[in-house]
Amino acid sequence: MRALDFVKVRKSYVSPAGAPLVALEDFTWTVDRGRFVTVVGPSGCGKTTLLRMAAGLMPPDDGGAIRIDGELLVAPSPKMSMVFQGIGLMPWKSIFDNVALGLQLQAHRPKLSGEERERIAATLALVGLTGFERYYPHQLSGGMQQRVGLARALVRQPEILLMDEPFGALDAQTRTVLQDELLSLWDRVKSTVLFITHDLDEAIYLSDCVVIMSRRPGRIKQVLEVNLPRPRYGYDARAEPEFARLRNIAWQSIKEEL
Amino acid sequence: MSQSSLPLDRAKAPGGAVALFTALGRSTVAMLVLSGIVFLALWQVVSMNVPPVILPAPAAVFTAFIQLTASGELVMATLATIWPFVIGLSLGFIVGTVLGLLLGIFRPAARVLDPYIFVGWSIPNIAWLPLFIAWFGVGNLTLIIFVFISAVFPQLLTVEAGARDADSFLVEVARSLGGTKREILYSVVLPSSLPYIIAGLRIAVGRALVGIIVGQLLIVATGIGYMFQFYGETLSLAKYFAPLIVVAVLAILLNRGVNWAERIFIPWKIRAFT
Repeated sequence: MRALDFVKVRKSYVSPAGAPLVALEDFTWTVDRGRFVTVVGPSGCGKTTLLRMAAGLMPPDDGGAIRIDGELLVAPSPKMSMVFQGIGLMPWKSIFDNVALGLQLQAHRPKLSGEERERIAATLALVGLTGFERYYPHQLSGGMQQRVGLARALVRQPEILLMDEPFGALDAQTRTVLQDELLSLWDRVKSTVLFITHDLDEAIYLSDCVVIMSRRPGRIKQVLEVNLPRPRYGYDARAEPEFARLRNIAWQSIKEEL
Repeated sequence: MSQSSLPLDRAKAPGGAVALFTALGRSTVAMLVLSGIVFLALWQVVSMNVPPVILPAPAAVFTAFIQLTASGELVMATLATIWPFVIGLSLGFIVGTVLGLLLGIFRPAARVLDPYIFVGWSIPNIAWLPLFIAWFGVGNLTLIIFVFISAVFPQLLTVEAGARDADSFLVEVARSLGGTKREILYSVVLPSSLPYIIAGLRIAVGRALVGIIVGQLLIVATGIGYMFQFYGETLSLAKYFAPLIVVAVLAILLNRGVNWAERIFIPWKIRAFT
């Protein structure tokens, strides 16, 4: 079952000097339902551009199309949630209200029903933030803030989860912990995930499939299937010979693009 | 035992003084009292060495303050100052905030109106006065309008900047969650303007206070502003200080009020220095 289709997606910008700048070229790819797909590539390869287009935040150039469940995407879809590297919590809202915003903007209704309040509480419990409902974002650590970002995305029960380097700004330990938490959450919610990172270990550890991009203008260079058994947090997946083999292939491929 | 305590004892004398100053530094009240004493002492010393017509002694000022309070003159003047101040400032705050938000959000309108606002803001308040007197006569209406003009421009410009520069990343986040323009306005733009509304108020309060004093001095000849003029021109310097004290106290109270509003309305704001 196809969840997300990219057909000949291309995106060009006009550079400050006035010259056209092609960020992404001829990106055609299908993400099947329930898969965890990661896009990696050197900086400037258009991966964030790709995700922003998938989120409906900007349209691809004429001739390209993005479809969700076969429907042409023209604006942000209630079936999707996006998680940002910069997190983007509203500093004036409590943790509870920040998560609530995910529902309010999805339903276009500011008032929360009792069922929705319960769902928010359950989602906060899922990310381990019970008891922090009334805190403000600046009172939490970066890792906890990104858990709130995840909760705001998950409370919408999205079919598709878009993640733009969500752990990029976190320290190495927090990042490792959150990677495991994300996998364990994903086991429960079973959304389709499109994940962007420049960290090859992260890409291989999390994904069913890693899409490697070329340097600008970004094109698909190589696709790696990752067949390490799941759940990967149940054993030391990063120590498996298969992990090292995939990592080596990915690195050789990316190195040519740097 | 006594041997080992000896060096400690020796260290005690300077250590005690250091400890005293450290404790004073930690207590804001103690610091304020101490600085007040130093200020009054300096004032006393200077006043003893110059004629009273240059600087009256603190005690003379205190006596004059009590006299003016007891006679009711100071109280009446203060009341005559407060009500037009409150009306003018409130109107300036409301109009400035609403217009500032509208212009911050509807940029095409702002591009047309911004030059007028900038010119209005740039003209010194005092230059409006003859015009206002010609239009509205000599009276409290002119005074209120003068206070309003003093307050409205800083409020408007600060709020407009706040609404215009709402965090574009947070706007994008709200958009990705499906927010419509209206929802983004309510859930991102307006709340992120709140710190600017308070910052504008802080400037507007100061401007309005200057406006009311200058206005009373030049337009209506009442209130605190007129006391400045009267006791200044008659060289009754001890009495001249009484309205000065009232203005100082008013300024401190108003600033406290703004601080309080800041804590109530923007509790999320992180302060770099406390």
